[in-house]
Formats: sequence, C-alpha cells, structure tokens
Amino acid sequence: MLKNALRTGIAAVALFAAAPAAFSQELTIGLRAGPDSIDPHWSTLGSQAEALRHVFDTLVDADDTLQLQPGLAVSWEPIEDTTWEFKLREGVTFHDGTPFTAEDVKFSIDRIPDVTGPMSMTLYTKYVDSVEVIDDYTVHVHTKGIAPALPNDFTRMFIVPSETGEGAGNEEFNSGEAAIGTGPYRFVSWEPKGDLVLERFDDSWREESAWERVIRKEIPDDAARVAALRSGQVDLINYVPATDYLSMENDPEIETFTSDSVYILNVQPTVKDVAPQPIKVNGEEIDVNPLQDLRVRTALDLAINRDVLVNVVLEGLGTPANQLMPEGFFGYTDEIGEKEYDIERAQELLTEAGYPDGFEIDFTCTNNRVPGDAVVCEALAQMWSRLGLTVNAQALNGTVFFPAAANEEYTMAMSAWGTLTGEAAYTYGAMVHSKDPEKGFGNFNRTGYANPEFDEVFVEGTQTLDAEERRALYEEASLIAMEDRALIPTVILQTVWAAGADTLTFTPRVDQETRAYEIESVNAE
Amino acid sequence: MFGFIISRLLQAIVVVFAMSIIVFVGVYAIGNPIDVMIDPAATAEMRARLIAQYGLDQPLWKQYLTFLANVAQGDLGRSMVYNTSVTGLVFSRLPATLELVLVAIAIATIIGIPAGIYAGYRPKSFASKAIMALSILGFSVPTFWIGMLLIMGFAVELGWLPSGGRGDEGTFLGISTSLATANGWSHVIMPAVNLSLFKMGLMIRLTRAGMVEAMQTDYVKFARAQGLPDRQIVFKHVLRNISIPVVTVFGLELGSTLAFAVVTESVFNWPGVGKLIIDSILTLDRPVMVTYLILVVILFVIINFTVDIVYARLDPRVRLGGTK
Repeated sequence: MLKNALRTGIAAVALFAAAPAAFSQELTIGLRAGPDSIDPHWSTLGSQAEALRHVFDTLVDADDTLQLQPGLAVSWEPIEDTTWEFKLREGVTFHDGTPFTAEDVKFSIDRIPDVTGPMSMTLYTKYVDSVEVIDDYTVHVHTKGIAPALPNDFTRMFIVPSETGEGAGNEEFNSGEAAIGTGPYRFVSWEPKGDLVLERFDDSWREESAWERVIRKEIPDDAARVAALRSGQVDLINYVPATDYLSMENDPEIETFTSDSVYILNVQPTVKDVAPQPIKVNGEEIDVNPLQDLRVRTALDLAINRDVLVNVVLEGLGTPANQLMPEGFFGYTDEIGEKEYDIERAQELLTEAGYPDGFEIDFTCTNNRVPGDAVVCEALAQMWSRLGLTVNAQALNGTVFFPAAANEEYTMAMSAWGTLTGEAAYTYGAMVHSKDPEKGFGNFNRTGYANPEFDEVFVEGTQTLDAEERRALYEEASLIAMEDRALIPTVILQTVWAAGADTLTFTPRVDQETRAYEIESVNAE
Repeated sequence: MFGFIISRLLQAIVVVFAMSIIVFVGVYAIGNPIDVMIDPAATAEMRARLIAQYGLDQPLWKQYLTFLANVAQGDLGRSMVYNTSVTGLVFSRLPATLELVLVAIAIATIIGIPAGIYAGYRPKSFASKAIMALSILGFSVPTFWIGMLLIMGFAVELGWLPSGGRGDEGTFLGISTSLATANGWSHVIMPAVNLSLFKMGLMIRLTRAGMVEAMQTDYVKFARAQGLPDRQIVFKHVLRNISIPVVTVFGLELGSTLAFAVVTESVFNWPGVGKLIIDSILTLDRPVMVTYLILVVILFVIINFTVDIVYARLDPRVRLGGTK
C-alpha cells in the first residue's frame, strides 16, 4: 500500500530514470564487453567486431550458425589456385554518400598492417599477397599459396572508404570523423568502456532495421547488468550469469534466449616425454609421463560424466561435447557418437597401463574467461578422483594462466576454445597440428601432441580448394584427433540473453554477437 | 615554510621513483601482455613481431630506461588496448570518479562528524548507542553487498533511481559535470551513499573518541566553570582540538577513495578510473597500469602535503619547517 503510494508519488523520478525505454524506436542494450576502438582494423577482439559490424560491413557475412552469407560481396570463387574473385554489391553508399567500389576494398586490406594493434588483424590477411582491382565491382585477391579459407577470414575484415586517408588512426575514428562505413547504423558517439550510440542509416542496403537509435552500454559486472535489465534501464542484456538464469526463466516479466556457443572447454593433456609439473605415484615423482599412454588419456575421457557436468554443474547451460566443434560446423564428423561415461572400463584401462592405484597430477584451468570454467574444473577433478587419481585442481585468473600456458608450464590444463570461423582449420591449425612455426601451425599446441597422420590429412585439407573434398578431409582429421584423445572436449557452453517479456525477439547467434539490426521489435501498439 | 616545501618535493620525487620501479618489476613479473591479448589463431611469427614492436623482448632495465626517457619528454605512453594516450585516457575518466568521491566524502562528513560529536557529547544516551551500532555496520558489511541491496531496493523494486551509469552532463561554472543536472544527481546519489558508508563509520568513531576524551580535560572544566554555554565549548574549543586526527584520516580516505573506488564503480557501472585500472590489469595493459599507479602516488603526496598545511592552521603549535 505504502509502496504503491510512493510509487505514484515519485512517478516523475521513475520516468526520468527509465526514459530510454520510453521511446519504442530506441533500443538500449547492456553488454558485457564493448569495442576497444572505433577503428575497425585495430583489433580482432570479438566484442570489437560485434560492435563495429553496426557501422561497417564485411565482404562476407555469416549467419547465426556461422555459415557464410553474402555481405558487401555478392559472390566469390577461386578462379586459380592462388586467386579468389569477389563480385561486389552494386549501388551501396557509405554514410557520407560516396559510393562503395573495389578501390575501397583494396584500401581497407592494404591499410591493416599499418594500423593494427596487439590483437593483430593481419591474422585475417595473412594469406593475402596482393589485391587487384579489375573493375569497380570486381576484385581479385592473390594469395600466398592455396587459401581455401579466405572467405572465412574475411567475415571480420571491415571495409572503410578509400577517402579515409592514411593518417587516420584511433583518435580520428573514436571522434567520429573517420567512422564512416556502409553499415546499417551511423556512428554517433563512443568513449572507451562507455556507451556506443548509433543512429539508423536510412540508405543501408540491408532491410531496414526496427530501431532508429541504438545505445550499446558496456556493463561488465554481471550483477549490475542484471539489475539494469530488471530496473528497465536497458531493454536487453547478454551473458546472463547462470545464477540468475533460473530465476529469470520463472519470471513472467522477463524472456530469456539461449543458444549453444562456439566455446568448448577442452582438457589439454601434455604428452611430452617430461611432464612440466611432475606426476607422482605413491608420493614419489616418476620419470615417465603417463599421459603419453593413449589408454590413460582414454581413461580420463571415459571417467568424465558429461551429463552431470551439463545438468548439475552448469545448471543446464551446456551441451555435452564429443569433438572440438559444435555440430554443423565445417569439419564436424558424425562418426563419433555421444561420449560415454564408463568408470569401470576407465579403471581397467588405467590398470592395463600400469597405474592400478592411480597417480597424482596437477590440473590447471582459467576461472574468469567463460561462464562455468572454474566449476567445471573442480567437477572434473572430483570425477577423476573417483577413478583413483589424486588431482590438484587449480583455477587461475586468465591474466596469470595464459602467459604460463604459453610457456607450456602445465602438465594438464583446461581452457575454453571457440571455433570462431565456423570451420575446422582455425582450430586444428592452432591446437592440434604439431608445432611448426615455419608453416604457421600449432601455435596453441601446448601439449606437445604430434601425429604425422593427422598433420598429413589436415594439411592436405588446407590445400584443397574444392569445398566438399576439403570437408571430407577435415572430418577425417576430426576422427583421428578425437580417437587419439589429442584433446579431451568436455562441454559446449551455452549463453543466455534476457529481455523484458514481449518487447523484442531475435534468433540467438552461435558466435554470441548481439546485432541490433537482427533484433525485431514486438510492439503492442 | 619554503624549506618545508622543498624537502617535501624531494621526498615526493624519491617516492615516485621508488614506486615506478616497484610497479614496473611487479607488472613485468605477471607475464607477457601479448600472450593475454593475442588472437588464438595468430602465427608464431606474428607473435614475435608484436613482442618486438612493443619492446617486450628487451631486458627489464632497458624497458624501464626507455620508459623513463619517454616520461622525461612528457610522454607517458599509449595504451596497448585503446591506442590512445594514457594521460588522455585517465583524465577522460577522472571527472566521473571525482564527482562520485566528492559527493561521497561530503555525505560522510556532513552526517558523520555531527553524529560523532553527539555520540561523544552524550555517550550514554540511546541515540548515541544507535549511532555507534550503525557505524559498526558501515565498517563491517561489504560495500558490494550493500550496493546490490540498494540497487534491488531503490532501482528494481521501487524504481525511484536508475540502477547504474552516469547521468547527463551539464555545465556549472564552466565545468562540465553531471552534478549540474537533476538526472545526474539521480544517478550519483546511490553509488555515493554506498561509497560513503565506510567513511561515515570511520568519521563517527574518530570524532566520538576525540570528543569523549576532550570533554574530560581541564580546559573544558574551566570553560564550564566560567559559565560558557556547552554549545560554545563544543564548537569553538573542543571541535578545534579534535580536528587533527579527523583531518588526517579525511585526507587519506579522500586519496584512497579516489584511487580505489573500484568496487562501487563496478557494481554501479560508474565510468570512473577504478574500472579502467581493473580492466587494464585484466588485459595487462602495462602503460595504463604503470601510469595510473604513479599518478596515485603523486595524488597521495599532494594530499599529505595539503593535510600538513591544514594542521598548521588548526593547531598553532605545529610549525612547518625547522624555524623556531
């Protein structure tokens, strides 16, 4: 009663506070992370690409399951072993009215090495040798060697107008002066860690977006983001924490959207001759590395109860993983069935391998990179202790974990890996192929895993332009890596968005991008 | 006075130097920022090139000297994450923190000191005991938890105040600040109250302790014997005598709140420097970490210096410098 009276009495203040939600054409989103710069060629950070997609377009786009879609290029095909031809979309204009042509593509690609930062965008142009403008709407990209995945690399390669000039850097983009793209929204304002304000660009080549004005607020604190939604300060939030997910699902005023992510938590057993952190049997350090034995790795795999991980540990926000990518990705093989949980078989294998009483091993994970990494880490340690192992689990901040992991200081580690491009080469080239700096493979292979059979099949795939043949080769590679337990996938993480009930709707994307122009408004009026 | 300033200045320079070395070594020990930032698919060659580009392949002493040489030219470096100048980045965030801290300190002082005086003046009354009990709560309940309670109560349930963020900016006396608009105040009030609770508890206890002690001293008894009204005794004589510890703590708290308001800033999504520094630590953005920590040292030196001058004004027995 009193509460209601107060509510009415202070209605003016409340309106004031909730004003952003009052305009139906305005969308305010509370996001965990935002861009680091408005220069689209500064960084490969996921939240950077996600934000800048509203202002700039890429040649190739990706749909909600990461399958390639036309963007500024309407079609692409390899015309020679080392040349890709891109046909560009006609009649597209930049926000300042200048038409989009092939020169802009060439300028954008050439610009990258000069302006990119520590999260270097040259990643997406590493196969590009040169760019040749054929006519206004045709571009030939000459590659270093055969590069079948070039269109995938271009899904985050943004196009800026060639008028931008060479001097423009982060300051010019952040101020808005150079922030001119072909995207569905114009840039209005931004500051580091602050709000990104966008206005609809009415001459966009896409279908008209439902929102005239979009405000992307960066709210990194989980609880604060949830509070912002519950108090009506924002219309939509991403990365709902698992602790709030259950209560939101039961709340009629809030609607949740759930989707598998590209991120999978993988156990990385080091198979080098000497384990970086010594392994002990009955308290004595041993000279051999038991993880080199496939039977031991298989036992570790069989001892993982993935249903428990998903339903109990992650409170339903996950899917059991049987390989390093979610289903439907380019290179996912159907030949691996669901991973089974068989503790008895696991114990037999361990005994066969000569460790009937188990061993003592260190297990290190991240604790802040993805939702659930620390709890899954502890749960795995418990599962393995049922097998008879003594597992010293330690979950560390990523700031500490990654530099040490790069130095290969861990005997057994776990971190999340996302196949961000939607195809296998990204993951296998970095994590499973043997370490080979000259070829640029195995940079994230910290386990010392080297299987010539895998390398051969995979490299053949990377040299095959025909998509179906390449897919078959990658699927074979998937099978080899998984049977060998090069890495042990555990769960695919899911992510959750939440919005006020009956306000908006969208199809959640597997790469977790929140794209305002793909969100539709459900308006009662 | 002049000698005092000179000696303080020299001390400050030594402290800043020592601090910069400690920060540098500490940051170096955490690890290589490129390993935190780099994209998983980057090649070893790209990694090596980046490490060389940022000078991270150099030995520590050499990196430190390069840093010093740049500072000597007034260049504190550029953020590795934002690629904008570090000073610009820090100063663009500073006004927000300053607003929050000033309002918080003002609340703590305006409520805390009178409450402490009362509690010390009538230590046995019920109200005094209630004040003391509340001050213990202010001390012991974690800030983030109170913050969440405030948000749940005033933003989610009652809907009176926004749950976070900074309000519209207005111009007041030529300064652009969110304290110049009503919307700005509606945003700042909750985080400021949250931030002030701990300091308020501190102020109450300090003032009360001084008060209880002072009320039993001879000069108070004499003043009473002279027939001075209690009001005059308390505000004219006692207050001045108990101010020194209060001012000292006030200064230190002002500094530490400015530098480390981070918990409140993240709960209320306040765009201040606290959040910036935490993010920089998580991404190992070395230039920002080093610059910020050095700025904090300078800030503390300035505050301590100001506090010393205020001492002299409050207590004529304190002389600055060695002059008799």
